[in-house]
Amino acid sequence: MFEFKTATGNAYAWDDKIGLFVPFSSTMAAIINEINTLESVPKEIVVQRLKSSYDEEDIALCYDWIVKWRKIKPRDSPPLQSLKVKDVKRYVLKHCLDQLILNVTESCNFRCKYCAFSGLYKYARIHSNRHMDFITAKKAIDRYLDLSKQGQRYNPLKKPSIGFYGGEPLLNYDLIRKCVEYIEDQYKNLRVKYNMTTNGSLLDEDKADWLMQHDFSIGVSIDGPEEVHNRNRVYINGQGTFRDVMKNIGTMMDAGYEKLKSLAVFDLESDLFKCENFFNQEHVPILALVNPVSESKGSLYYNRFSDEQRLAFLEQLDRARKYYIESLTDRRPMARFSFFDAIFGDGAQRLLNRPFTILAPHQIMPFTSACVLGKKIFVDVDGNFHACEKVAGSFPFGDVEVGLDFEKISQILNNYYRLMDKCPDCQVKRTCNKCYVTFATDKGLSCLSSEICQGIEPAMSDSFSLALSIAEVNPRYVDQSDPHISDIKKYYGE
Amino acid sequence: MYFRLNPECYFIRGEKCGAIFDLIDKKMYTLNQEETEIITLCEKNVFVSKDQKLLQELQSLRLGRFYHNGIYVQKLRFGSPSRDQQVDKSSVVSRVFIEINNSCERDCWFCGCHGIKRTLGCMGCNKWKEDGKPLSHDRWKMVIDELRDLDCSDLFITGGDLTLAWDKTIDILNYADGRFSNIYIVLHQRSLSETTVDDLRNKAKIILQTENPKDLRFQDTSNLLITAPEAWEKTKDAIDDDTMISLAIRDSNCLAKGLSTLFKRDMFANMHVFLNNIKYHPCLGHTLTICNNGDVLACPMMRNHNFGNIADKELHTILEESIDKINMLWGLTLDKIEKCTGCEFRYACSDCRAIEENLTGRLKGKALCSYDPQEGKWG
Repeated sequence: MFEFKTATGNAYAWDDKIGLFVPFSSTMAAIINEINTLESVPKEIVVQRLKSSYDEEDIALCYDWIVKWRKIKPRDSPPLQSLKVKDVKRYVLKHCLDQLILNVTESCNFRCKYCAFSGLYKYARIHSNRHMDFITAKKAIDRYLDLSKQGQRYNPLKKPSIGFYGGEPLLNYDLIRKCVEYIEDQYKNLRVKYNMTTNGSLLDEDKADWLMQHDFSIGVSIDGPEEVHNRNRVYINGQGTFRDVMKNIGTMMDAGYEKLKSLAVFDLESDLFKCENFFNQEHVPILALVNPVSESKGSLYYNRFSDEQRLAFLEQLDRARKYYIESLTDRRPMARFSFFDAIFGDGAQRLLNRPFTILAPHQIMPFTSACVLGKKIFVDVDGNFHACEKVAGSFPFGDVEVGLDFEKISQILNNYYRLMDKCPDCQVKRTCNKCYVTFATDKGLSCLSSEICQGIEPAMSDSFSLALSIAEVNPRYVDQSDPHISDIKKYYGE
Repeated sequence: MYFRLNPECYFIRGEKCGAIFDLIDKKMYTLNQEETEIITLCEKNVFVSKDQKLLQELQSLRLGRFYHNGIYVQKLRFGSPSRDQQVDKSSVVSRVFIEINNSCERDCWFCGCHGIKRTLGCMGCNKWKEDGKPLSHDRWKMVIDELRDLDCSDLFITGGDLTLAWDKTIDILNYADGRFSNIYIVLHQRSLSETTVDDLRNKAKIILQTENPKDLRFQDTSNLLITAPEAWEKTKDAIDDDTMISLAIRDSNCLAKGLSTLFKRDMFANMHVFLNNIKYHPCLGHTLTICNNGDVLACPMMRNHNFGNIADKELHTILEESIDKINMLWGLTLDKIEKCTGCEFRYACSDCRAIEENLTGRLKGKALCSYDPQEGKWG
């Protein structure tokens, strides 16, 4: 049991064996300590030993509940064995193949100051003018859709999805069109979903119309109001990009296109309150994601900020958090997803609703949130397969010529298990959100979790506290991601 | 003070009354209207008096406790709510009936060919009036491979009288052996012999159907007793809890009062069943049937809900094409059933949709229950 407190002073614990947050108390902690020390110790003895420090009735009450709670038998994963290639292939066909991501170009007409390819990140590529050619894209598509067809036998509902990424993908718009036309021509019976991440600067009316016709989900990078956005998101010549982006998305916004979503990034100089107001406006696409600028290993980006700036940001973040929690009392579930929802509320919902309870994660990925390789297939301009855009180059597992290399995937996963040396004993492993990005360097996966995750439990305490504070203020808000809760509580009169 | 039920205790409100389900100790506590109102307030984090007798009693039963501040109690669950919503998770097929034979020399009055006359007909044998050619022997083996690839865990091999083509039955059983967690084979008591039991040993569990309680003598079988409602009262004490009861109703206008007793017997707060019933119909969820002619259904007894035919299509194609229809039946929780929707026992109760639909003429109709959730009373 990992203990923490909320803003109101209520005590809770995260029970990683079961995978649930439970109300907790110092009495419970003392009893667990007694039980663990003495093994199957009778209630009377525990009461006797603790009654000088705790209320007798409370000891009895807590003792009974702990004994009862321990009757739940979580379904543990069997101990990890070395993976077999045939098991990996079966798993990939049944559970993976979510998305093929084509990196259609390494070129970009922006020079965003925090960009992953700006040279500020030790293990990432830098901008170039290299485009993917159609032969490479076609081979990647054929490989992926062939596997998707094989996978239907194992998971009939899985739908293939293809994403276009860059650089700025619209710099290679002709290739995107060719790919979609090829799929429509050659794979008539497959309903392929498309998506794209764009900076929005080249999204003219014709392109917008074509993308809408083909039902693309589009993530457009917008960081906030003009002054916030333009501070980091600039053209090669240093000019701000906000007005061009907002003008260009007008076609889709006017058409009421719901698959256009904002992707925002913030750093220590961002005005969070201005962002909150900005993204609540009707003419701005609803947020899909908000992330801080990555502070991953080897990042030089944060070197530019002084200690004063860091302190000021933390103070602002704290104010924003308090404001958010206070405003939650009256917040309706399903209201427009706001900037503060994304940086505070969304994490709370995920912590409360994403971890497995009682059931164990699949044996093939028992620890961390890392995807099994093949869940996403990120194809670089040369046709090599990678886990995702964030770890491109680090540990490829196939290419357009040989397809998915299941032998290689097995080797990488077996190595990953070896690196996750702290995980079996971690007290918060069911809530872990770390993945390959955390453990990769330019030499592939090479960092031990015992090194990276030192002190991870205390570090999670803040997130736990925020999640439960939000749940105390507005339980309906955090419960809304469970679709059955409204049936369970339908006569509660809420 | 504030009072909240523990994480393992679900409070379910009906239209009038409520009940508390303790999922660890598998106990159900019914509440009267006044108690229901008190617990409703508590679960909404409303301030209450510590002198409240009911709450003190619940605390002494270890079902909940008092807190100084309002608190959030995450309820015990199974799996991950947000991961459950991923589209491709909904295709989990866990239980499949394969009707590898449609012949029988008996003519039982409650057999499926005479209409839907009984509850739990799925666990017994039936012959059906159906069109089309039977699937070939090889196609059945391919079906078994397809089910294995879909991670189906429980396979029910059923007929007709499977002993009429015993070699074929054994060949299919041998092919399925080792590919599923559990294989069941449905036989009528009069078709059972020492030889058949020997042939099935260590490969399949026998579900033995009989109309006579005295026939329940084979120790290694699961038993399905077919009984009329009016006979149930006389026989119930002689039957162990593990025997499945199939209520055969000759005349739907004469439904016996004793039915309510029967359904109370079937109510329980088993954690997995209760949590599953929140998401899926207690019986239809994750269930498919493949008829002798290749038709794909959910329940073997609901012949009019057809998802397609696998004679010239693979099963996964049917699943993909008909998933909305399939999910509609699988997801028919008792929250969606007339009368049950307002009942506090809706996640602890069983339901035979086939006979209910037959008796009421409505997919969501309910006839076989004498509890009135509007009044909170048993009839």
